[in-house]
Amino acid sequence: MGKKINIWYVSSFLISIAVAIPIVTVFSSFFETTGNYSLIIKNTFLYEYISNSLILLIGVLILTFVIGVGCAYLVSFYTFPFANFFKWALILSFAVPAYIYAYSLTAFFENYGTAFSILKNLFGEGNYNVHIPKFDGMLGAIISISFSLFGYVYVLTRASFHYQSQNLIELGKNLGFSKEKSFFKIILPSARPAIVAGLSLVAMETLSDFGSVSFFGISTLTTGIYNAWISFDDLALANRLSFYLLIFILGLFVLENLSRKKAQYHSPSKGGFKSKSLVVLKGYKATLALIFCSTVFSISFLFPVLQMLYWTIIFPKHLGDLNLIELFLNTILLVFLSSVVLITLAFVSNYGNRVSKSKFLETLTTFSISGYAIPGIILAVAFITFISWFDNNVINFFGLNTIKSIFIGSVFGLVIVYFIRFYSLASNGIKSGYLKINYSIDESAYLLGYSKFKTFKEIHIPYLKNSMLLIGILITIEIIKELPITLIMRPFNFETFATTAYVFASQDLLEAAAAPSLFLILIASFFILITSRYILKD
Amino acid sequence: MTKNFLEIDNVTFVASEKNKVNNVSLTIENQGDIVCLLGPSGIGKTTILRTIAGLEKINSGNIRLKNKLLSSKDTHVEPEDRNISMAFQDNSLFPHYNVLENIRFGAERNKKKKKGLNINEIIKFLHIDHVIDKFPHQISSGEAQRASLARSLLSNPDLLLLDEPLSNVDQSFKEEIQVKLKQILTEQKITTIIVTHDSYEAFYLGTKCGIILDQQLKQFDDPYNVYHFPNSIEVVNFLNRGILIPAKVTGENSLESTDLGTITGDFIKHYPKGSEVQLLLQPEDLEHDDQSKLKLEVVDRKFRGTNFIYTLKTPSNKLIPVFVHSHHIHQHEVDEKFGIKRPINIDHIVCF
Repeated sequence: MGKKINIWYVSSFLISIAVAIPIVTVFSSFFETTGNYSLIIKNTFLYEYISNSLILLIGVLILTFVIGVGCAYLVSFYTFPFANFFKWALILSFAVPAYIYAYSLTAFFENYGTAFSILKNLFGEGNYNVHIPKFDGMLGAIISISFSLFGYVYVLTRASFHYQSQNLIELGKNLGFSKEKSFFKIILPSARPAIVAGLSLVAMETLSDFGSVSFFGISTLTTGIYNAWISFDDLALANRLSFYLLIFILGLFVLENLSRKKAQYHSPSKGGFKSKSLVVLKGYKATLALIFCSTVFSISFLFPVLQMLYWTIIFPKHLGDLNLIELFLNTILLVFLSSVVLITLAFVSNYGNRVSKSKFLETLTTFSISGYAIPGIILAVAFITFISWFDNNVINFFGLNTIKSIFIGSVFGLVIVYFIRFYSLASNGIKSGYLKINYSIDESAYLLGYSKFKTFKEIHIPYLKNSMLLIGILITIEIIKELPITLIMRPFNFETFATTAYVFASQDLLEAAAAPSLFLILIASFFILITSRYILKD
Repeated sequence: MTKNFLEIDNVTFVASEKNKVNNVSLTIENQGDIVCLLGPSGIGKTTILRTIAGLEKINSGNIRLKNKLLSSKDTHVEPEDRNISMAFQDNSLFPHYNVLENIRFGAERNKKKKKGLNINEIIKFLHIDHVIDKFPHQISSGEAQRASLARSLLSNPDLLLLDEPLSNVDQSFKEEIQVKLKQILTEQKITTIIVTHDSYEAFYLGTKCGIILDQQLKQFDDPYNVYHFPNSIEVVNFLNRGILIPAKVTGENSLESTDLGTITGDFIKHYPKGSEVQLLLQPEDLEHDDQSKLKLEVVDRKFRGTNFIYTLKTPSNKLIPVFVHSHHIHQHEVDEKFGIKRPINIDHIVCF
């Protein structure tokens, strides 16, 4: 149907505007005067910030692509020993934040670290430090972030592979394609939207990562932003550096849209879907597949868990000092409120886009979700700045009571900033689900007398309930791991596992950070496991 | 006030700038009439259906159903409020419901209007009883198309729109479904517009046929008239059921062809004596006669089960199709001579 401004359009517009406010703030700050530090940065570190961010981004994208697509391909098209186990076990990597992975990596490989202790216990005293490889600096950051984030690519690509019809595979065989050619010409291209969606999430997470890059001492745009704000109190420069980050992300969006052109990736629409028959791997091929998947699982999940567990066991006092119930309830409260708000609004916004078919609205939405690239700390500061401005200029003008306490240092304000931060995650997930629903489905519903609301309620929501669960889990994992926004926006004395771990780590008490880190990973793993059958529903 | 059931008055249907049908005026006089729209692919036939259904808007003209204005420049009744049902060409079944549940969506609409359509009978006649428990991705495109048709039929619409409803259906029961479909539509007085590219289907199902060519509704008439009295060379070429040969009008009921000699019959349109015209020759216009002195060379012979279609070459290299009953024992091979019965008399002479 033609464009029409209706309740769905307006809702979608308002949601997108709300999410876009911090981005506009960042953009507008480009014209603000910056302090002297900006000149110093421009003449010295800016090039380094940008080049390091680029190298980090490229390294992480390549590694997550290889690991994520490789694992998804193996478990989707083949059977081999433990293939069913790896299907769900591989998503446990979601539970490990990059900064905790970085602590583990360093702790294990550093001089006289865990690796050294193991070798010493096995073989006695020796100069093992010379032979133990060091994963620090850029390499350490790339590995930490990649093994922490490859799950995005794995889950989305696997879902796409799973829903590929056997017809596609057989078509390749009929055309005389080899297995390699089928993979590169048919399987991979048809899973492209899912792969790109996964890589986009990875890219945005990587560019806004602070924990691991600062731990490894790499100067990226995010560390530059932190330094500008924390060390030099130059918010305008912090915003300007964020602007450069946004340019990165918008560039990625444009590149993807240009390369995809007008190709559509609907599920088979003429009823010709055939389930795949999995190929049984035998001999050395089965062994290679097993080695690949078990290596990825061990490195991404077992390794950091065992490292944290080891520390927790050998330093039990820190565990006794934790108020576990309070930390758990606080975390769950944030997860529940944020998930409900995010999924509801992302759903409404996407349906508004679908119903109105407005290019303007689509562009606005695309623009607003790039807020995911803004580091959490900038979002939090931008939100506080906006509320202060609104309070001083609007609320005061009408002589009303201050609203600062409602939004700043409150769970409500914290959820709003989470909403802005993770809106891209929710929106992209719902959008990806919507791509599977042909417009003729909606039109059939209208022609059967269903209103737009009824179509939304009775056709779309039931169909996309698995997508919503998946998004809910992704949001849950993100919020459990989220650090800077929680640190700034939380009410006084309101702690989560992430903030507790950070507080200890920032005091150089990595051993004390192990227990909250371990619980963080275990809780996240629990959420992943109880819902894994929905994520990986065959 | 008009008594017509559906009136489309001077509407331009736009899918894109290149793909539109201009200034269409079309009337369905009676409830229960079936209109078939024929035209080549990509011409905008589906857009017409979508616009009538309310899925597209119009900028000029108006569409009225049962005297109610549905679409005009300033009016747009939403599709859900039109009581118009449409079966799409592609699979538009709800993917998370099985076939039976999908069909029930149709039956549940307007359930107060008991029209005598039985869900089980519809399922049976459309040959989808074996897939009712399956989900849309588990059935063939033909089965999905029939399930979609069942859903639309059962929704008791004021107007039913069918977009290539049987294009994916097996030939083995296509005819059976056509017969039953026509019976149901007629008995239940379901006014229907069918878009198809199959002229035989259109001629059988339609009480009226519309031919869409060159972004226009070229002809809107009874199927018999569309076939026998096409109103333009474009319609002749589209139907592809005859050829045009040059001839000269020699009298009130006769004309002369260089290749075929004198031809007599009733002109459906008057031409002055001496006019140079293009005469439409359809396969059934000429008769085979081995004794005739008018012999033409056979260049092709198509066996169509009930008949043969011979393609004959005239001295001026025109290729003429000639229908011969397939029980006709004496057959001619390619390159042989084929006699045409003279004098040639055609019941109705169509010239351009």
